[in-house]
Amino acid sequence: MNQDLAGEHRSGAMQVVMIGLGEEKFALDAGLVREIIDPVPVTKVAGARAFVPSVINVRGNVIPLADLRIRFGMPQLDNSADTRIVVIELELDGEPVLVGVTADKVYEVTEISQTDVQQTPRVGMHWKPEFIRFIAKWREEFVIVPNMERILN
Amino acid sequence: MSAMDPTEVFRQEASELFEVLEGALLDLGQRPDDRELVDSAFRALHTIKGSGAMFGFDKVASFTHEFETAFDRVRKGEIKPTQELISVALAAKDYIRALIEDPQSTDDIIGEAILDDLRRFVSADQPAAPVAAIAEAPPLSPAESKQAGWHLYLEFESHILRNGSNPLDLLEDLCKLGPCFVVPITDGIPFLDEMEPEDCYLKWDVKLHAACDKDAIDDVFMFVQDEMKLTLSPLEQVEAPAPAPLFQLLDEEPVAAVEMAAPAIEAVAAPAAEQPAAKAEPKPEARPEPRAEAKREERGIATVRVQAERLDELMDRVGELVIAQARLTQLAASGSDLSIKMIAEEIERLASSLRDTTMGARMVPIGSLFGRFRRLVHDLSRDLSKPVEFVTSGEDTELDKTMIECLADPLVHLIRNAIDHGIEDTATRAANGKTEQGRIELAAVHSGAQVLVTVKDNGGGLNTARIRAKAEEQGLIAPGAVLSDHEIHQFLFHPGFSTAQTISALSGRGVGMDVVKRTIENMRGSIDLSTRSGQGTTVTLRLPLTLAIIEGLLIRVGEGRYIIPLSAVEECVELTAEDERSRGRNFLNVRGNLVPFLRLRELMAASGVPDRHQKTIIISTGETRVGLVADQIIGNHQTVIKSLSKLHSDVTIFSGATILGDGTAALILDVAQLVSLAQSKVEKQHINEAA
Repeated sequence: MNQDLAGEHRSGAMQVVMIGLGEEKFALDAGLVREIIDPVPVTKVAGARAFVPSVINVRGNVIPLADLRIRFGMPQLDNSADTRIVVIELELDGEPVLVGVTADKVYEVTEISQTDVQQTPRVGMHWKPEFIRFIAKWREEFVIVPNMERILN
Repeated sequence: MSAMDPTEVFRQEASELFEVLEGALLDLGQRPDDRELVDSAFRALHTIKGSGAMFGFDKVASFTHEFETAFDRVRKGEIKPTQELISVALAAKDYIRALIEDPQSTDDIIGEAILDDLRRFVSADQPAAPVAAIAEAPPLSPAESKQAGWHLYLEFESHILRNGSNPLDLLEDLCKLGPCFVVPITDGIPFLDEMEPEDCYLKWDVKLHAACDKDAIDDVFMFVQDEMKLTLSPLEQVEAPAPAPLFQLLDEEPVAAVEMAAPAIEAVAAPAAEQPAAKAEPKPEARPEPRAEAKREERGIATVRVQAERLDELMDRVGELVIAQARLTQLAASGSDLSIKMIAEEIERLASSLRDTTMGARMVPIGSLFGRFRRLVHDLSRDLSKPVEFVTSGEDTELDKTMIECLADPLVHLIRNAIDHGIEDTATRAANGKTEQGRIELAAVHSGAQVLVTVKDNGGGLNTARIRAKAEEQGLIAPGAVLSDHEIHQFLFHPGFSTAQTISALSGRGVGMDVVKRTIENMRGSIDLSTRSGQGTTVTLRLPLTLAIIEGLLIRVGEGRYIIPLSAVEECVELTAEDERSRGRNFLNVRGNLVPFLRLRELMAASGVPDRHQKTIIISTGETRVGLVADQIIGNHQTVIKSLSKLHSDVTIFSGATILGDGTAALILDVAQLVSLAQSKVEKQHINEAA
């Protein structure tokens, strides 16, 4: 973890897609994001784990739709005019997997520079620290850069 | 495909030939008198030699040539192919394969040793074996001395043209060695009504005025060596400078022959006569050539090599087409435009036949896979000194290409297990009153839209008590737990589970069966074990016919729509009020048979009010039937299977997903899983009732 943080420090800025989940803001590594789409009808998968409750059709591919709010213990809001699905591509067990992530709002694509990066505090958070890569500052606000691989495993 | 490296083409071709060769050799071990087998082994060898030389694999060509020579006595029926000889021949085959695939890893010494072995076997009863090879063409003069030239007599087998060889090309090649006087001998030409237009009746007499090596001449005829008679003798004197008498000598005789044949030809209609006349023409550019060419083309068209990825791509496109077509059909059905409905129907029909054709193109007979295991069995039975008879059936059964590839490793495991653990050693078998030779059957058979592949041995069967003890030892079950034999056998599929008391090089390390199971399940198949103590074990793999598109039955449960593979559906019945009430029983009375049923609403945690008339879809796998209760049966649906991602791999009741006409995803029910779920429910009920 620390090593890979150091790597990012050296490379300087990191491109991220800023999304809102409930009251919080999350920054997804822009390199993972394939596309951002409007909400589509979802198909519930009975018996699936709670954070991947359904699948959706994205351009002829059936992909799982993950709900990070459940992973972070946030209340689920109904879809609003701002709701989007961010399609990201992850490497899970050595295989690329497309996953949709519901976002209550997508703000913008931006850069977080290395000076903004903060170490994850071990205390004072109600989220599991392993779900968080690091915390950065963006417009005077703290944003969470989640560790998607861990969240989805 | 045009970009394909020719060497790569040769490698592929060679690997197919190796399969043929290996198959023939192994069969030969069982049926030593079968001439067909010897011939097919020889043909394979010969083609490897020929194309090897063509693509610059000189070592391959020369080794194969030696191999061929040594094996020739078997072909002539002078010696019988013994097991030892077959083993050496197989080793030789492996060596050639290594020469082609990984030349660095081979060593000439090994090759020489193999050849020595081969020669020793074939000459066991006749020390002068090397002479035998030469004896085939007695006039092959050992004299390599320089002389004025060669006198050749060429007689081809009559089917030579059919094999795509053109004698005229060969003659032309021969001419390149030096000035040639080629004279056709036409006395073999039959009367027209007896003539086979595709046969070659001509023989040639050639005087080659060049001081070349015999080898150079042999090279010209390398590919057809076995299909011709070549007589070589050195030209006596320097005749070249005095061609005149020679011309006369050579010219007169054949012309007479032509004349003799001519009346018969002319007596018949002229167009028909054209062909034989052309054949009699001695010039290299004569007409038989296009004929041979056409023949070659024909063979080319019969099969086309296509890269596998292209087929996959095609299948993807067809999948997308089917989805788009489903949307069109839905749209047309909701509108009232009759002409659109007609077009939609037409496209539906086309898409479905296109789908079938595309899937057909991906189907490969499973026999290509079975062939590989014969060698495995042969080697294992030798290494373990357990004589084993290997019987295969259903080689024609076709399966999707990708599945065949995926099946290879699991089957290797199963066959190894069968020989190593299943078949007892000779002494035990004798003690149990069994034949000394064990038997392993590998069979494939269609069963509905599934293919069943079974590996059956007649060994000792599974030792249920030992599996149980092992499972208890590993803490997988509590001591004394009540388990059916079937459930106990399932522990064999547990990772790291092995009951073998000694670990052999082959098996017993506990890797394998769990991998086998996972591989099969990844293919949406299932694996089943049945065993009878002292009589053997049967492992049955149930595999879907294809991985890509299936016919499905679309049903609705609450708000959700699901697909049941139509192949598994036996019938649909309405759930009667009586069945509906029997909450505790969950049995359905289908014409006197009790069929357990599952309520999909409960399984899918469906919300909302159930429909008043619940429908039951009876599905089956093998012998077992199970009812699924749904709210509505919508109809059949061309289902393009999309696999579920890793994130949903823990959900077992769905085997995949598809996209419906309105663009939403629908899940495909995994029939085998639902059946076993229903069964375990029934069993639990029994246990509860008994308690």
